Amino acid sequence: MSPLLEMTGVRKRYGGVQALDGAALTAVRGEVHALLGPNGSGKSTLDKTLAGTVVPDSGEIRIDGAAARIGGPRDAHALGVAAVYQQLSIVGDLTVTQNVVLGLEPARRWGFLDHRAARARAAAALDRFAAAFPGGLPLDRPAGSLGPGEQQIVEVAKALARGPRILVLDEATASLHKEQVAVLFDVVRELRASGVLVVFTSHRLDEVFALCDRATVLRNGRTVGTVELAATDEAELVRLMVGDAPRRSGAPAAAARPSPSAGAAATLEVRGLTTERLRDVGFTVRAGEVLGLGGLQGQGQSELLLALFGAARVTAGEALLDGRPLPLTSPAGAARAGVALVPGDRGRQGMFAARPIQENLSLASMHRRARLRLALGAAAERRAARSMVERLGIKIGSLADPVSTLSGGNQQKVVIGKWLLDRPRVVLLDDPTKGVDVAAKEEIYAIVRGLADDGVVVILNSSDNRELTELSDRVLVLFEGAVAEELSAAAITEKRLVAGALRLTPGESP
Amino acid sequence: MSAPSLEAPRRVLAWRPGPVALAGAVAVALVIAGEIVSPGFAGYGQLVNLMRVAAFLGVIAIGQTIVIIAGGGGVDLSVGKVATFAAIIGSRVMAGEDGDLVPAVALALLVSAAIGLVNGLGVTLLRIPPFVMTLGMIGVVQGLILAYTGGRASGQAAPALTSLVNGRVIFDLPGLLFLWLLLGLLAVWLLRRTTFGWNLFAVGANRTAAELTGVRVNRTLILAYVLSATFAGLAGILLLGYTESVFLDLADQYMLPSVAAVVIGGTLLAGGVGGYAGTAVGAIVLTVLSGLLTTLDIGGAGRTVVNGVVLLVLLSLYGRQRRLRS
Repeated sequence: MSPLLEMTGVRKRYGGVQALDGAALTAVRGEVHALLGPNGSGKSTLDKTLAGTVVPDSGEIRIDGAAARIGGPRDAHALGVAAVYQQLSIVGDLTVTQNVVLGLEPARRWGFLDHRAARARAAAALDRFAAAFPGGLPLDRPAGSLGPGEQQIVEVAKALARGPRILVLDEATASLHKEQVAVLFDVVRELRASGVLVVFTSHRLDEVFALCDRATVLRNGRTVGTVELAATDEAELVRLMVGDAPRRSGAPAAAARPSPSAGAAATLEVRGLTTERLRDVGFTVRAGEVLGLGGLQGQGQSELLLALFGAARVTAGEALLDGRPLPLTSPAGAARAGVALVPGDRGRQGMFAARPIQENLSLASMHRRARLRLALGAAAERRAARSMVERLGIKIGSLADPVSTLSGGNQQKVVIGKWLLDRPRVVLLDDPTKGVDVAAKEEIYAIVRGLADDGVVVILNSSDNRELTELSDRVLVLFEGAVAEELSAAAITEKRLVAGALRLTPGESP
Repeated sequence: MSAPSLEAPRRVLAWRPGPVALAGAVAVALVIAGEIVSPGFAGYGQLVNLMRVAAFLGVIAIGQTIVIIAGGGGVDLSVGKVATFAAIIGSRVMAGEDGDLVPAVALALLVSAAIGLVNGLGVTLLRIPPFVMTLGMIGVVQGLILAYTGGRASGQAAPALTSLVNGRVIFDLPGLLFLWLLLGLLAVWLLRRTTFGWNLFAVGANRTAAELTGVRVNRTLILAYVLSATFAGLAGILLLGYTESVFLDLADQYMLPSVAAVVIGGTLLAGGVGGYAGTAVGAIVLTVLSGLLTTLDIGGAGRTVVNGVVLLVLLSLYGRQRRLRS
């Protein structure tokens, strides 16, 4: 049988990052095909290329043997491709019916909407999921009033209302309950029986084995293989995802640095930390130690850092710094207590794009230098900012230039630098090298090592497993908001990180 | 790590005039145009007079600048009413006596600050949009004025206040202009050389990032509204010194011009970018324009149209400049 979908040589570059570097995917009619890979392997980008929300730099896509040009979501729809992502495209104020038919509202003459037909169409699409709505189909309720799992189901129904030949499900099960997952899987199996190709991505490996026929594994934007899942075990998948490449720089971080003596006073102790997205997280980090946070992205790593910085609503648990409780209620309180956060989204959370580099650097620490906590001395602020520019090697024109004029790596150094001026005792870094070039990456690594050497507690979330192996003394692997595994020293390898992220028991990993 | 970075050579950019320079040029052009159509318009005495009128708007617009820089749709529509209320309280308490000047001014400013505090609490804690909150406050203050005066303003400015505002100091310039200069310098210092000012710009430029940098965002916003109402109250007191007696809508008409002066001065309505120097120039532009229209004997309808057109032309110029620079 000729393949329904053939993608070959797909390349996509975002700034300095090659997200896809010749990825390929071949799948046939009536198949559930998994797309697997570690963080940053390019699976989401490949999904989006197929759905038309990302236009690749080069590459060929053939659907049913014919070359397909997908320049946008409309093209994808016309070719019979529909996609569902973890992030919803539901409009909360519209009813479920309106959401399902959005973009293909049935119309009568002169463009008047045919409400009855719309309702019938939505009912048909949702009927397959009836078991997920015990109270009956909520056709006329505002979609925003549904629970997150139900909204996700509506999203899938919306995709199915388009009668696709190819359905992309990218982490579409993340917010579903067990029963809802079962309903969805039944629908997917029906679709398979009727000849639809389903491309499936999930961080839950058990779901992949339960549902999928074959899997294509991506690594660093390249396809490394396609396997029959019935004839493959988890260890083989991990081997494909990580590869046999030797560790790049030899010694792990713990060996490169004198490991903090076991007897040193525990500096940061976290007990039973629970928020909307975290479940009972506890650990201890000593001064001078780098604690890595691993796992697939979005498993609660950012939430943990925000919670420690007082920026997430903590429902239970506490954090002690040198035995004294940290205020987890406001970022201002956390900052005063000596905690610093370099957030994951630099543009939205970390910097003031329109403001001068000077102010961006001064802001977190200026109250220390101000007279009466109010009056700033221009010379003192300049000296402070300049000292950071030199210490971190930030390449700038003038301190008065807006920070938006800098390159990504230099912007990130400004965000880090504003905290170093505050001499923090705990530094929380949320994927600090995301989207920065290789040279700046190495410089940021040097800053992180320098902080640990100075006796600062460093907690580093990274979507890059290699970064975790190079920098961390210990790694907590998170899965769905809880600590799934703790790796230390020699056990921090990319293989163990990927295995932990997929929640395979340590014994099974090769 | 690369070599310690010294300052890279400054980028050589063709200088493009910023909003402040553009607005200044417009002010000068208006004065010249006035002199051409009506010789004597640019005479010394006439210009001093225009500056004196601009001063009241300039002082009210200090607070408006602060609130608009704070971003998030920040605007204080109640400044005119608050200024009126402050003048009414001041005139009644001082009742033409120099001895009661200080307590009268203190009470007027205290009441103004309290109104600003309520605005700030409404905007932060109750999350009422600033536009709605301060619009509603106009009604509240109007009610307070009626209750306080019973519909008839009474009292009179103390002679000391009048001579402070109107008395000629040097170069035959009234004291008011020196007071404006002083308050203007205070505003510039507050915005550019204090932790409050830098926090304010940070909150306006990116509220989430400000929160995550440990800035106490709500405290900064509340203080912005308190300052706005206080400067408005101060302008009301100065206006009282100028007019000597009050009426029930003394400063009401400053509401929209105060916003226009800020915008003409190049402060972004979106917040996070701007400053007081521009606002001061904006106040002068608006005043000169209005003087010119009076000289030309253009009626109310025509004036409104011309005012609007000038504002639109300036704003479109600023937008163009920003695009050229980026």
